[in-house]
Amino acid sequence: MTKDELQAICNKIPYFRFLDFTIETADPDGVTTTMPFADRHIGNPEAENYHGGIVASLLEATASLSVSDDWETQPPKPINLTVDYMRPARSGTLNAKATISRKGRRMASVATVAWQDNEDKPVAKGLFHFLLV
Amino acid sequence: MTDIKDDEWVARMAELWQTRSKGLIYGLNLKAELATRQGVRLRMPFNPNFCADEDETLLHGGVLTSLLDSAFGLAIFLAVGEIQTMATLDLRVDYLLPAKTRSDVIVEARCHHQTRHIAFGTGQVMFDGAENEVVAHGTATFALTRGDQGKGHWSLRPKDGTKT
Repeated sequence: MTKDELQAICNKIPYFRFLDFTIETADPDGVTTTMPFADRHIGNPEAENYHGGIVASLLEATASLSVSDDWETQPPKPINLTVDYMRPARSGTLNAKATISRKGRRMASVATVAWQDNEDKPVAKGLFHFLLV
Repeated sequence: MTDIKDDEWVARMAELWQTRSKGLIYGLNLKAELATRQGVRLRMPFNPNFCADEDETLLHGGVLTSLLDSAFGLAIFLAVGEIQTMATLDLRVDYLLPAKTRSDVIVEARCHHQTRHIAFGTGQVMFDGAENEVVAHGTATFALTRGDQGKGHWSLRPKDGTKT
């Protein structure tokens, strides 16, 4: 799907609007997204860091958008995920990139990474499986 | 460890976790129904903003993951009891059933093992009224810095109650 088609989907889905990310690039092998910081994304009372669940949510959203052929009729169904948290995600823009590892007719496996200022210093990496039927 | 009773400390920490929540935990509108050293049980009212579909009947997986991560944080904080800082190392979630509901969401979590530096958590998500059906199952690993007086982001220990 094109960047504009994917962005149109994001504008319709309540939880994607809550996350408030936008599509940066959309290629056959993956999608990149970017999300501005918001107070509702904070994870703990003292430090202004992202909640781990928000980081995982952005990764899952980016991964699911990268494997969708036709979101309206067949949105990808998440099967499971693993997220490694590597650095604190501090207040500031959060970026995500999904790379399709394997996409068959029924199943897709997607590798993701999230970073802030420097793509070489990821804050988290995630692996996601989706059912496509 | 403290000159207040242990169960009072647990109740105080759970109350502070609730009243001082902000950001996502506040936005999820989580209520701690049960908070003990052995495990926690949290309730989230259904919220259409967390849905993955335009009809607003299917919760997005990321919400269930966020609920599990939140519950692990409280469960491990209570189970360890002397935390300066804690950070999620990794989080694994299996989505067992479609999260199709307009009911409250229940999340249960506990710390099933801890070492000096690491705590291991396990938890599950169910819907109110169908608690025999697990919708999502999660495990997590947390890195701990132990210390009697909290200095980091979990500095919730009552200063007046701490004796070394």
